[in-house]
Amino acid sequence: MKNDKGKYYRRIRMAKRIVSHLFLILIVIFSIFPIYYVLLMSLSPLSNLSQMSVEKLIPNLTYLTTGNYAAILYHYPFLTWLKNTLIFSASATFFGVLLAISSGLALSRMNIPLRKVILYMMLILSLFPFVIMVIPFYFMFSELGLVNSYTGLIIAYSAGAVIFASWLIKNYVEMIPKDFEEAAQIDGYTKTGALFRVVLPIAKPVVIFALVLSFMGPYTDYALAGQLLTNPDMYTMAIGMYYVSQGTVSMNYGTYSAFAVLMGIPIFLLFFAFQRYLVSGFSIAMYK
Amino acid sequence: MVKKIGSWNLRSLLFILPVIVVLIFLDFYPIAYSIYMSFTNFGEFHFFNYSFIGLENYIRIIRSGFLWQLLWQNAIYAFGSVALFAPLGFIIALVMNQRGLRGKTFYRTAILFPWAYPAFITILIWQGMLDYRFGIINELLEKIGIKPIYWLGTPGTAMLSIILVNLWLSFPYYSYVFTSAMQSIPTELYEAAEMDGYGPLGRLKNIIMPMLSRQIAFVVIFGFIFTWNNFYIPFLLTGGGPGTSTQILITYSYSSAFSYLQFGIGAAYSVISILVLLVVVIIANHYSKMMTVLY
Repeated sequence: MKNDKGKYYRRIRMAKRIVSHLFLILIVIFSIFPIYYVLLMSLSPLSNLSQMSVEKLIPNLTYLTTGNYAAILYHYPFLTWLKNTLIFSASATFFGVLLAISSGLALSRMNIPLRKVILYMMLILSLFPFVIMVIPFYFMFSELGLVNSYTGLIIAYSAGAVIFASWLIKNYVEMIPKDFEEAAQIDGYTKTGALFRVVLPIAKPVVIFALVLSFMGPYTDYALAGQLLTNPDMYTMAIGMYYVSQGTVSMNYGTYSAFAVLMGIPIFLLFFAFQRYLVSGFSIAMYK
Repeated sequence: MVKKIGSWNLRSLLFILPVIVVLIFLDFYPIAYSIYMSFTNFGEFHFFNYSFIGLENYIRIIRSGFLWQLLWQNAIYAFGSVALFAPLGFIIALVMNQRGLRGKTFYRTAILFPWAYPAFITILIWQGMLDYRFGIINELLEKIGIKPIYWLGTPGTAMLSIILVNLWLSFPYYSYVFTSAMQSIPTELYEAAEMDGYGPLGRLKNIIMPMLSRQIAFVVIFGFIFTWNNFYIPFLLTGGGPGTSTQILITYSYSSAFSYLQFGIGAAYSVISILVLLVVVIIANHYSKMMTVLY
């Protein structure tokens, strides 16, 4: 009798495990399918979407080709787009995060006049998307002669990055016990020195998180860049990708997929390389 | 000695000054400029000689009846998305939180894929996959005997597609957040509940839900706020179409300004979108005190 009951519970537990695994496998298929699909398309000789079929979802090694990658690299201005994207993203990340570190440390550890007012404003501003700023930025930068210039967009992107990044850094630093700096000050550091040499290294996860977030904004921005950049020599990858998707620039679907892979994979790898930091940065910044 | 004024000193002001400059010139000035533009007839026909027209843009927008359509579509987009991704994230977290489940690292890594790949690109990949005639989704459906669906071609299915793509983009983040929230519940509580004879459902109802109620409220509210103005999914996937059936306030503001060159009207739509969100934030703050993160 007792044995039967044990068996019954074991069976229930078994069933629960199987259902759990089936559910998770379905979720995994759902989550990786589009990326698998685009990777496969990029390696297939496709001139348009109609040549893709369910049978081709299982890769056939004799059929795969790297021709699409050669095409996107040599027959389209991909390298120019890449160069421009990197100029915008790297500069904006550098300036945005630099300012964010300084203000994040100040807001969490120094006495600042109107501190609470600044924090409220930053919190409210961080709720609003960058797209809302596109209309006013477009006219402000036109008046300043900053259309088709690196400077204009770098200023706009740095501003876009700095508010949220300061907010993240401020929240994270507030969770670090003050003992560290106090000990450092006893060891002869100045207050500012202790902040930059002792507290900042502890805040590494959130700084990395802010770096990646700030880099991502300009990297995939079409809304502002598409309006402020009219000179094809200054186009970014996001503008190129948008024009192909709209049919303004015609491209084989396989080549388009190769473009999507080349543009996306670096970020994808970066994400997994810093996953540990990203994920802790996210959770700590959002809930205090 | 550093000069002290009240309880703060000049040197700390130096650290914050650049950000104050950014706040004033690159946030408040543009916002004020936008609000001012929304009170003018600035557009294609009055590019050099635009004038202040008071509330005329707003009155036109309200009279056109189109505002209600946009608000309705925006609400469906935001509520529909949250209603799918928050529960799915929660369920995944519950399943992954089982003790002794094998392959957790594999599942966790695979689930992060949609989050790791830039959304700008994956939205465009989905656009190709959802194509009516040649898209892989319809081909897969055909294999299991389901008739092809006009995913992006009819108003209802276009909105559904947007919400489903948003589900794909957002569930990894929410399952991650809920997983880490559940891990913060002390295991003794689960053990005590098991001793008291609670089953899985009892534990969910009596331990997990009450312990996480604050986080759940926070996640739902932020999910809504974030989705409300999430521009790229409608903009890239359907371009607001077919017709205007998947336009939301922010995408319509953008097309008014840059496709129809009615900058005043475009600015007015973006102001309305911000106002709606502010009301939501104020109400949410009243109930959940999320602004208390400041104290």
